[in-house]
Amino acid sequence: MSTYIIIPAFNESPGLAAVLESLLPLNYGIIVIDDGSADETHKIAGAFPVLLIRHELNLGQGAALETGMEAARKLNADFVIHFDADGQHNPSDIAQLLVPLQKDEADIVFGSRFLEKKPSGLNFSKKIILKAGRWINYLITGILLTDAHNGLRAFNKKALHSIHFHQSGMAHASEILYEVRRKSLRYLEMPVHISYTDYSKHKGQGLLNSVNILFHLLFKK
Amino acid sequence: MTKFQVLGVAALLFILISYLRKFRQPALDKLFIGFLMATGIFFVLYPEVTNQLAHFLGIGRGADLIFYLAILGFGYIILLLYSKIKKLEDRLTQIVRKQSLESIKLPDKNA
Repeated sequence: MSTYIIIPAFNESPGLAAVLESLLPLNYGIIVIDDGSADETHKIAGAFPVLLIRHELNLGQGAALETGMEAARKLNADFVIHFDADGQHNPSDIAQLLVPLQKDEADIVFGSRFLEKKPSGLNFSKKIILKAGRWINYLITGILLTDAHNGLRAFNKKALHSIHFHQSGMAHASEILYEVRRKSLRYLEMPVHISYTDYSKHKGQGLLNSVNILFHLLFKK
Repeated sequence: MTKFQVLGVAALLFILISYLRKFRQPALDKLFIGFLMATGIFFVLYPEVTNQLAHFLGIGRGADLIFYLAILGFGYIILLLYSKIKKLEDRLTQIVRKQSLESIKLPDKNA
């Protein structure tokens, strides 16, 4: 069974090497999408035994993930995992995300930072955004997850081939839910641990960008 | 409600729905712009008609009527341009993705 980890990276040179080093021992295939970075991201990723794909222009995280998914489809992957390049995700969470897929109990598994484990370093405004995002997702997609926008998720082959991202930016997280419902995929949530370092917070989504995400969702374009 | 209020709200809703539902067609856009130009020329040639029309619709002056119509027209055109830009972005995404996947470097199997 071939498993690939898809890592979209846009200007991630400060943290990328550490993330890749932590993922190599897992022995999965790694696909890094350099989303038109202007820094050393391409060079750093190129030093690792990963499949490196470069967008000549910055297209956004959703577009980068779709490119990675397309590469995984070409490589005939059985499972794929989305993993953030900023070091907020924990590599040891991946194995348990895959369990329901390997047992064929779900087509897609979402990581959630609000099941069991308490997230570290999460500030108040971020909490409010995530709570609101959760209900907005529910209103639009009919699926209520405990964690609205968690970048750590796992797909089986069926989900990989039936979900295509058209939202180039950050609204793809809601787009997945929409597709899951439309294609009646089986989904599950698993607790994962997110660590908020100053770096990942800096790279993360602010309050204002959630307005952008909502707008993209409502207008679907 | 005056006649224009009904008309104005209906027009705004039409713009919004036509944008959301994507039943807009390029030919309709051109007809719309053509109609806009023809109306403009007509009003320039017969400015007193705007006053009569405004009174009929329940608006004070002809100039106000023109102003309201201009806002509706601009709103429509802005949405039109926005959806065009989005379409262009989608195409750009497809091109960049296709090109990026063509130049795949396969990972080193020995590593």
